[in-house]
Amino acid sequence: MPRSTYQLGLGFVGKLAVLLILGFLVLPVAVVTIAAFNDRAILSFPPQAWSLRWFAKAIAYQDFRDGFRNGLIVTAWSSTIALLVGAMFAFALDRYRFRFSKLIEAILLSPLVIPHFTVGLGFLILAAQIGWTSGYAVVVFCHVVLVLPFVIRSVYVSLRNLDQSYELAAASLGAPPLRVLLTVTLPLLLPGLVSGWLFAAILSFNEFTASLFVTAQRTQTLPVAMYNYVREYADPSMAALSVMYIVGTAALIIFANAFLGLGKVLNIEHTR
Amino acid sequence: MNPQPFLRPFTAPAVLCTVGLLAAMAAVLQFSFRAYVAGSLEPGAFTLANFADLLKPLYARVFLDTVWICFLTAISTLIVGYPLAYALVRTQNAILKSTLLVIVVTPLFLGEVVRTYSWIIVLGNNGFINSMLMNLGIVKQPVQFMFTTFGVVVALVHVTMPVMVIMLAAGLSHIDRDYQKAAESLGAGPVRTFLTITLPLSMPGVVAGVTTAFAWTFSAFASPQLIGGGKVNMISNLVYQLGFASFNFPFAASLCVAGLALTIVVLSMLRLAARPFDNIRAH
Amino acid sequence: MNILADTSAAAQTSGFAAGDDVAVRFDSVTKRFGEAVALREVSLSVRRGEFMTLLGPSGCGKTTLLNLAAGFFSPDGGDIRIGGERVNDVPTYKREIGMMFQNYALFPHMSLADNIAYGLKVRRVPKKERDRRVEEVLALVRLTGLEGRKPRQLSGGQQQRVALARALVINPTVLLLDEPFSALDKNLRASMQVELREIQRKLKVTTIFVTHDQGEALSLSDRLAVMSEGCIRQLGTPEEIYRRPCDRFVASFVGDANVLRGTLDGLDGAHAVVAVGVARVKVPASPLRGVAASAPVDLFVRPEQLQMVDADEPCATSGTVAAQVYQGGHVDLYIDCAESVRDRLLVRSAGHDAMTRWPIGAQVGISIGDDDAVAFATG
Repeated sequence: MPRSTYQLGLGFVGKLAVLLILGFLVLPVAVVTIAAFNDRAILSFPPQAWSLRWFAKAIAYQDFRDGFRNGLIVTAWSSTIALLVGAMFAFALDRYRFRFSKLIEAILLSPLVIPHFTVGLGFLILAAQIGWTSGYAVVVFCHVVLVLPFVIRSVYVSLRNLDQSYELAAASLGAPPLRVLLTVTLPLLLPGLVSGWLFAAILSFNEFTASLFVTAQRTQTLPVAMYNYVREYADPSMAALSVMYIVGTAALIIFANAFLGLGKVLNIEHTR
Repeated sequence: MNPQPFLRPFTAPAVLCTVGLLAAMAAVLQFSFRAYVAGSLEPGAFTLANFADLLKPLYARVFLDTVWICFLTAISTLIVGYPLAYALVRTQNAILKSTLLVIVVTPLFLGEVVRTYSWIIVLGNNGFINSMLMNLGIVKQPVQFMFTTFGVVVALVHVTMPVMVIMLAAGLSHIDRDYQKAAESLGAGPVRTFLTITLPLSMPGVVAGVTTAFAWTFSAFASPQLIGGGKVNMISNLVYQLGFASFNFPFAASLCVAGLALTIVVLSMLRLAARPFDNIRAH
Repeated sequence: MNILADTSAAAQTSGFAAGDDVAVRFDSVTKRFGEAVALREVSLSVRRGEFMTLLGPSGCGKTTLLNLAAGFFSPDGGDIRIGGERVNDVPTYKREIGMMFQNYALFPHMSLADNIAYGLKVRRVPKKERDRRVEEVLALVRLTGLEGRKPRQLSGGQQQRVALARALVINPTVLLLDEPFSALDKNLRASMQVELREIQRKLKVTTIFVTHDQGEALSLSDRLAVMSEGCIRQLGTPEEIYRRPCDRFVASFVGDANVLRGTLDGLDGAHAVVAVGVARVKVPASPLRGVAASAPVDLFVRPEQLQMVDADEPCATSGTVAAQVYQGGHVDLYIDCAESVRDRLLVRSAGHDAMTRWPIGAQVGISIGDDDAVAFATG
C-alpha cells in the first residue's frame, strides 16, 4: 500500500522499538546460556574458557535429580486430576444449570488473584491440622487448586467455540447423551483438552512459591531444589540446569504451536 | 441445549476442590486470630494482636513498598509490552508471527527461579551488564543493581511481560481492521488513527493486562527474595521469613489476610477506573 | 452555504483543470497478489457526478479496483488519478475520498455525532461549523435527534445511514461504496437503494459502487462496468448492457437469458441474420464479425422478449409448457424446447391470463422479434 515518508519513518522507529524489547526479553536467556558453558566457577563475563562440566555436575547432583523426580510425580498427578476436574466442571458450567454455579466458579478461579504464598501457607496449616504433613498428597492438591483456573478457562472456551450441530446430528441419529459425549464431543474438543493439560503440566512443574511452603525435604520439587541451591552456592551449575530447562520448554512450546496453534489457544488469533 | 441431568455428577469433584480451597483459606484466617507461642508450632489463644502489629511502621512500610513495586511493574510492563503486542497482532508474515509468539510465551513457562537466577547473572556485580560497562570503560566501579528496587522491578517486568503481551494482543486482535481503514478514509494519519481509534478500543485488553500484572506481581516471591536479598521486601518475603525463620505462623497468616484485603481493594479500584471502558465492544 | 452547495462547489474546485470532466481515472491498472492477477491493465474513467457501478462475480477484481482507488493497495502497473492528480503513491489518509464499508465500521466508542464529525475534526473544521454540518447531513439522511446514541443502539438501516453521512459530510471528491447493502434484508435494501440514489443526485457526488447483484447495478447506475477475471468486459449505461451485451459472459451474468441454437445466415451491414427453425431473426452484427456463413451460433434472448404464439403459427421454434410460476404481476412459464441450449426456456408474460392461456402440457410456438436478441458464435 502507498505510504508517505512519515509513515515509513514511523514504521522504522516501531520496528526498532520492538527489536529492543525483544532483546530485553531474550537477554537473560542468552546470558545464562553463556554462563553455563563457562569453565570457571565464578560468574563473570566474558568467560575465559568453555566447558561442559557444569552440565555434568547439574545432572549428577542428587538434590536436582530428586527434585526432578518429585516434580514429575507431582505434575503428572496434579495436571491429570486438574484436567478431569476442570473439564468436567467446564462441561457442567456450559451445559447444565445448577445452583451456586457462579459461586463455585468464582471460588475455583480465585487462585488467579490470591497470592501463591497465601495458598501455600493455607495448605501448609491445613495439612498440619489434619496430619497430612508427609507425602505428596497435600502438594498435589495444592497444585490442582492452583492450575484449575487455567484448565477450566481453556476447556470452557473450547466448549463455547464448539459447533453444537454435530452433537445434535448424532442425537438425531439415535445416540444417547453419553455416547455422543464420548464419540463426538470429546474427539472434537481434543485440541482444547490437550492444550489445557499441557498448560497445567508446565505451570505445575514450574510452580515455586506455594511449593516452597507445602513441600517437605523429601518431596521438594525441582524449583524448590534450585532455590535452595542458589541460596548457598554461586557456581554455574544452576546456569547449566537453567539452560536445559530453557531448551526443554522452548521445544515444548514450538511443538505445541506447530500442532495446536498457540495463537488460537491463547485467544489472540482472529480470522479477519 | 437442554440441561442434561446426567451432568450432575460432573460437578462433584469441582465441589470437592472448592471445599478444599475454602478450608485452606479458613485455616489462614483462623490462624491470623491466634497468638504466637514461641518455640511451638501450635498457636495460642484468640487475639487481635497480630493485626495490631501490622500497623507498626516496619510492617506498614512493607505493605506500601509492595503496592509501589506492583504498580511500577504493572505500568512498566504495559509500556514495554504494548508495542510488542501491537507488532504481534499486526504482522502479516505467519513465520514472523510464530517466532514472536514463541519468544514472548517461552519465558512464561520457565518458572520464577530460572528467570530470577538469569537476572542475577545479568545484574550482579560480576554480571553481564557490569562486565560490559567496565570492559568498555564506561564505569570504573560496578553499578549496584542487586539488592535495589530497580533490579527487582526489572526482573519482575521480565516475568510479567508474557502475560501482559498476551492480554494486550487478545484485546488488539479483536479490533476490526475496518475501523482503521475507515479512519484513514476520513483523513486521519497513522498517529491520529492510533490515538483516537486503536488505543481506546484496546482499553479492555489494557485493563485486563494491568489487573493481571498487578495480581501476579503481588504474588511474586523469588525475584524480591533473591534479587532483593533482604533489602527489598515484599509481603511475600515477609510471610516466608516469619513462617520459616521464626515459625510465627499466626503473624504470617495475618499478613496474608491483610495482603489479600489489600489486593481486593486495589483490584476493585482498578475495576472502577475501568468502568467507562466496559461498553467498548469492538466488533 | 448548505451541504448541497458545499459538495457541488467542492466538486467544482477540488483540483480539476478547467473543463476536466473526469473525477477518477484508472489507466492500464494492473494488480497482482502473489501468483494471481487480480486486475489486468484495466482502464476506466469515472465522470464527475456520475454513479458508476462495478459489477461482477466474486473474484472478478471489482473490490480490488475500489481498494486501489481508496489507497489500501498500490497498483503494480498503471496510474490512478483522482481529481486529475496521480495518486499511486499517496496514502489513504491524504486522498479526498469518502468510503462506506460493508459492515459500516462505525466507531463503537463514539456517539453518532462524533462518528460523523470525525473527518471534520481531522480537517480542523472549527466547532461551530462542524456542528452545523453534522446537523445538516443528519437531516439529509433523516436521523436528526439521534446524535447522542452509540452505534450499537441503532438498527442496521440506521447504522448504514450514519456510515453514509460520515462519508458525505467531508465533501469527498469521490464516494466509494463496497457492497454496502449486502447485509440488509430485501425490503430495507430496496428503500436504501432509492435513498442513496436520491442523495447522490442531490449532492452530485461522484460515486463508485461495487456489487455482485446485477439487479442493484441496473437500477442504480448512470453507467456500469461488467467485470470478470480482472478485466472490464463491457462499459455502458444499464440499458446498453442489458439490451446489447457485447459477449456471452455479459449476456449471461446480467439478467436472465435464454439460449437457442441457430445458424448464421448472413451479414448485412450493421445487422446479421440468424436462422432459428423456420424463422429469420435480425441481430446486431458486431459480435459475429469473422464468423463464416452457416456456422452455428447461439442466440441469447431475454425472457420478456420471447413471444408466445399458437403452435401452428410460423415461428422460430416450438415447445411444450412444462411449468408455470405465478409471480403476482407476471407469470414465468418454463418451456421444454429442442433448440434450447440449456435446460428450459423461460418466458415472462405480463398479466395473469397467461396461466389459463398457456396451461401445462400445451404445445406453443416461440417467436422472436427483430433486434430483440443477440447472437454469439458457438463455443
